[in-house]
Amino acid sequence: MSVWKYEKARIIFLRTFGIVGLFGIISLILIGRLFYLQIMQRERYLFLAEKNRTAVRLTMPERGKIYDKNGIVLADNKKVFQAVLIKEQTPDFQKTLNNFKKLIPLDEEEESRIIKEFKRKRAFMPVQLKDNLTKEQVVMLHLNAPSLEGIQIEETLIRHYPQKELTAHIVGYVSLLNEKDSEIESNLADLAGYRIGRSGIEQSFEESLRGEPGFRKTEINAMGRTVSLMQEEKSVPGIDLHLTIDSRLQKTALDAMGDEAGAVVVIEVKTGAIRVFLSTPSFDPNLFLAPISQKKWDSLMNNQKKPLQNKVLTGTYSPGSIFKLIVGLAGLENNLINPLGRVYCNGATRLGNQLFHCWKKEGHESLTLQEAIRHSCDVYFYETGQKIGVENIVEMAKKFGFGLTTLTDLIGEKTGLVPSAEWKLATKNEAWRTGDTLNLSIGQGFLLTTPLQLVRAIGAIANHGYLPDLHVVEAPNSDEEKEPLVNEENLNLIRAGMYDVVNHEKGTAYSSRFNFEGKRMAGKTATTQVRRISLKEREEGLKKQKDMVWESRDHALFAAYAPTGKPKYAIIVIVEHGGGGSSAAAPIASKILKEALRLDQEDAKMKKGGN
Amino acid sequence: MSFFKDRNCYMKNYNLSFKEKWSGFNWYLLIAICLVIGISLGVLYSIGGGSWSPWASKQTVRFLISLFCLFVLAFLNLRFFMRYAYWIYGIALISLIAVELFGHIGMGAQRWLNLGIMQIQPSECMKIALVLALARYFHGASLEDVRSIKFMIPPALMMLVPVLLILKQPDLGTAMMLVFASMGIFFVVGVQIWKFLLLFLMAACAAPIIWTNLHGYQRKRVLTFLNPESDPLGAGYHIAQSKITLGSGGFWGKGFMQGTQSRLSFIPEKQTDFIFTVLAEEFGLFGGIILYSLYMVIIAYGFIIALKCTNFFGKILAIGLTINFALYVFINMAMVMGLMPVVGVPLPLMSYGGTAMMTLFIGFGLIECVAINKEMVIGRLGSIDDE
Repeated sequence: MSVWKYEKARIIFLRTFGIVGLFGIISLILIGRLFYLQIMQRERYLFLAEKNRTAVRLTMPERGKIYDKNGIVLADNKKVFQAVLIKEQTPDFQKTLNNFKKLIPLDEEEESRIIKEFKRKRAFMPVQLKDNLTKEQVVMLHLNAPSLEGIQIEETLIRHYPQKELTAHIVGYVSLLNEKDSEIESNLADLAGYRIGRSGIEQSFEESLRGEPGFRKTEINAMGRTVSLMQEEKSVPGIDLHLTIDSRLQKTALDAMGDEAGAVVVIEVKTGAIRVFLSTPSFDPNLFLAPISQKKWDSLMNNQKKPLQNKVLTGTYSPGSIFKLIVGLAGLENNLINPLGRVYCNGATRLGNQLFHCWKKEGHESLTLQEAIRHSCDVYFYETGQKIGVENIVEMAKKFGFGLTTLTDLIGEKTGLVPSAEWKLATKNEAWRTGDTLNLSIGQGFLLTTPLQLVRAIGAIANHGYLPDLHVVEAPNSDEEKEPLVNEENLNLIRAGMYDVVNHEKGTAYSSRFNFEGKRMAGKTATTQVRRISLKEREEGLKKQKDMVWESRDHALFAAYAPTGKPKYAIIVIVEHGGGGSSAAAPIASKILKEALRLDQEDAKMKKGGN
Repeated sequence: MSFFKDRNCYMKNYNLSFKEKWSGFNWYLLIAICLVIGISLGVLYSIGGGSWSPWASKQTVRFLISLFCLFVLAFLNLRFFMRYAYWIYGIALISLIAVELFGHIGMGAQRWLNLGIMQIQPSECMKIALVLALARYFHGASLEDVRSIKFMIPPALMMLVPVLLILKQPDLGTAMMLVFASMGIFFVVGVQIWKFLLLFLMAACAAPIIWTNLHGYQRKRVLTFLNPESDPLGAGYHIAQSKITLGSGGFWGKGFMQGTQSRLSFIPEKQTDFIFTVLAEEFGLFGGIILYSLYMVIIAYGFIIALKCTNFFGKILAIGLTINFALYVFINMAMVMGLMPVVGVPLPLMSYGGTAMMTLFIGFGLIECVAINKEMVIGRLGSIDDE
C-alpha cells in the first residue's frame, strides 16, 4: 500500500471515531432530554394531558344588524346548523368529503371553495362544508356519523336580508372569505363560515359590524365527542346600524322604476340624510351567502342593465340640461346675465362653420333666463355660456360639489369629472375651444357627474344655497357653520325657472305636476345623448327614440325638490337609455316625491294619534 | 498497464459469484432495520385505531418494494456506482432545477416533480446523489490534496448548488441535512479542524442575512420554538402538544393503543414527523430507548462496514450515508422533544411515507454493496488500477 493511502486510511479511521464520539454526546443529550420529559416532568405533563382532553372552539359573534329609519330590519342573522370538517380528525379527508357529498350534494363552486380553505387553514381548524342545513339533513348526518369521521355539526349564525333586492346596493352583502382575504387582522379568519362585507354598508362598516368571536372550551371523550361544556366566553356582538333610508319610500321608488335601469336618490335637503338610495335593476344579496353558481353569476354579469353595478355610487353621467341651473347661477353671480335680458333662439347657434342645435328645431324665439330654464332652451345657454366663460362655470360647478365625493360614510364613491382648459391640455394635449364651452353650457361633452352630486346640488339650490353633506347612517347633525354658496336673490330666479318647468303649462315636465294638499314640486329635466348624431341623420330626420336599439337611446334625467314653498326633499332620477327626461324620468320622480309628502303626513298623524 | 490486464484484473477480483456476495451481505444490519420497521408498523396500526388501514397496510407494501430495491442495489457491482456517480448527481441536480421551473406545489413548498406515472422528490434523491459524488471526488484524493483550498472548491460547490436550490423550495430540513452530511464527509477525509471553526464563525456572522431571507412560516417556527407559549393555539401548537404527549408517557408508557393524546388527535401529523411521540406515549421511556438503541446498532454497523472496506470510495460512501441516516434520527428526535425548531424531517424507518423510505433503503442497499465489495480494488480514476 502506498504511503498516501496509508495516511488517508489512518485519518479516516481516526476521524470516524471522532464522529462516533460526537454521536455519543448527541445521544446523551437526546436520552437525557427524554428522561427529563418522561420521568422528571411526568407529573406536569400528565396534568397537561388531562387538561388536554378539552377542545377550544371559537364561536361566531352576532354581526351588527342594519335597520332603516323606521326600525325595519334590512339585515339580520339567522340561527342555522352548519357542518364543519376538521382535517386532522379524519384519516382520509377526501374520502370523508366524498361520503358527505353522497348525503348532501355540493356544487362545483362550493367544493373548490372547501378545498382552497383546507389548503389555507391549519389542520386542526374546522372548515365549513355547508351551512343552512335542514332538520332532515342534520338527522341524516347524525345517523351516518361513523362514515363521517372528523365532521361535526354546530349551531352558527348566518346573515339574512329580509328585504332582498329592495336595499341590495345600499346595504351590500357578505360572503365567505377567500384566499385574498388572508390579511384580515382578526381571529375571525379562523372561524368556520365567517363572512366578510363585500359592498355597501356591509363593506364600509365591516369593522363596526363584525364584533369579536367568543370561545367554548369543552371536554371531549376518547372518541373525540363533546361530553360537557367547561368554560365559555360569550362573543361580543357587532354594533347595530340605523340607516337614514326609508324603506317604504325606497319600495315606491323600486316599483316606479319598473324594469328600467338607473338610479334614484332622495335626500333631505337640510340634513343631507339619504332617504332613498336605489340602483336598478337590483339583485338578491342572499345569493352571495353561498358561493354563487357560474350560471347565476354569468346571468348577472351578462345582463346589459348591469344589476351588480351600484349606479348611485359609481355611475357617472352627463348632467345635460340640469347643469344649465349651475351655468345660470354662474352668470347671475358674476353679473354676466341680466335676468330680464332676452336672447333670441332660432333653433341653432353658428360657431365658425359649425352649427350647434337647440333641441327644438324651430327655435324658441326670444327668452329670458326663467323662460330658458322652463323650455330648457339650448341656444340661450350657448349664447350666455360664451359670455360667462369656462372658468366661471367650472368655479360654480366645483362650489356645488361637482368633481368631489359627497358622502361622509360610504366608501367606493366616484368623483366624476369637471373639465377645464388645463385638464384638456394635460390629458388630451389639446387647447380648449369655444365649442367645448358650448357643450359644457348645456351639460354635455367632457363633464361627468354622479347621481349623488346632482341631488346634492339640487338640495343646495332648494336649501338657500347651503350644500348638505350626504350620509346614510343616522348621525347627529353637525353644528358646523356653513356659508351659503350663492346669493338668495339669484337662487330665487333659478327656482322660479324650476317651478315653471313643472307647473307652467309650457314647462318640459308639466305632465308630471302634482298638487298634494297645496304642496307642489319644482325640477329640471335633462335628456342626454349617448351617441353623437351625425349630420346625415339630422338631414334624414331624427329617428324616434323607441325605434333605436336600447343601448343607443338617450339617458333620461330629472332633478327636483318639494314642496316648493319650504323645500324638504330633493330627488334625482336617472333612467338609463330611457328616452326623454320629461317622459321617462319626471313621472317617476313625481310619484316618489308625492309619496314622500304623503308618508310625512301619515307619520305626523300617527304621532298625534299616539300622543 | 495494458487494457487486457485491467480486464483480467476486473474479471478476477471483482466479479464475485452470487454465493460470495450472499455471504458478504451484512445480515445483522438488515435485521436491525427490519426490527425498526416492525415497531413502525405496530405504531401505525395503533394510530389507525387498531386497524391496518389506512397507514400500516400501505406502509407494509412500501416496505416490501423498498426491500426489493435494497437487494438489487446490494448485488450490483460497486464500480458501477463509482463510474456513474457524477451522472447520478447531474441527473438529480437537473431534476432539482426542473422542480424549480415546473414543480408541483404541495403544502406551501415546491418539492415534487410529476413524471406522469409517479411523483418524485428530487431533494430526496439529492441526499444519496451528493454522497455518491463526494465519495467519488475524494476517492483518489491524498491528504495533501484535501488540505489545499483549491482542491476543496469543487466539492463545496457540489454541496452549495443543490442546497441553495432546496432552500428556495423552501425546505429548510433537507437543506440542513445536505450541509451537515457534506461537512461530515469533509471532516472524515481530513479537512483541518480549524477550517471548520472558521466556517462556523463565518456562518454566525451570516445568520442575520439568512434570517431576513427566511419564509414567513419558517421565521414563525423559529420564533415559536424560542418561545412556544407565545402562540399555544397557533404555530406553538406542534411543540407544546408534542411535549405533553411525550411527557405523559412516563417510564412504561400508557400501553399499546392506550395513548390518549394521539387517540384524541392532539398531535398533528402524528403518523409522519411526530410518530415518535406516539411510541413514547404508549411505550414510555422504555420503548423510546429500545428504538434508539436499534438506531445506534444500525449506525454502528454502517461505520463498521465503512472501516472494513479497503477502497476509499466504499469507505466514504458508507460513512456519508450513515451520517445521513444518523442526522435524520437526531434532527427528528430533537425536533419532537422541543430541542430544535420544527423543520419537517421524518423519523427514518418509522414515519409513514413512501419517498423517504425508498431513499433510506437505496442508501442501505449501497451500504450493503460496500459490505459485499469490501475487498474490491478501485483505481484512482475508476476502473483502472494505477497502483
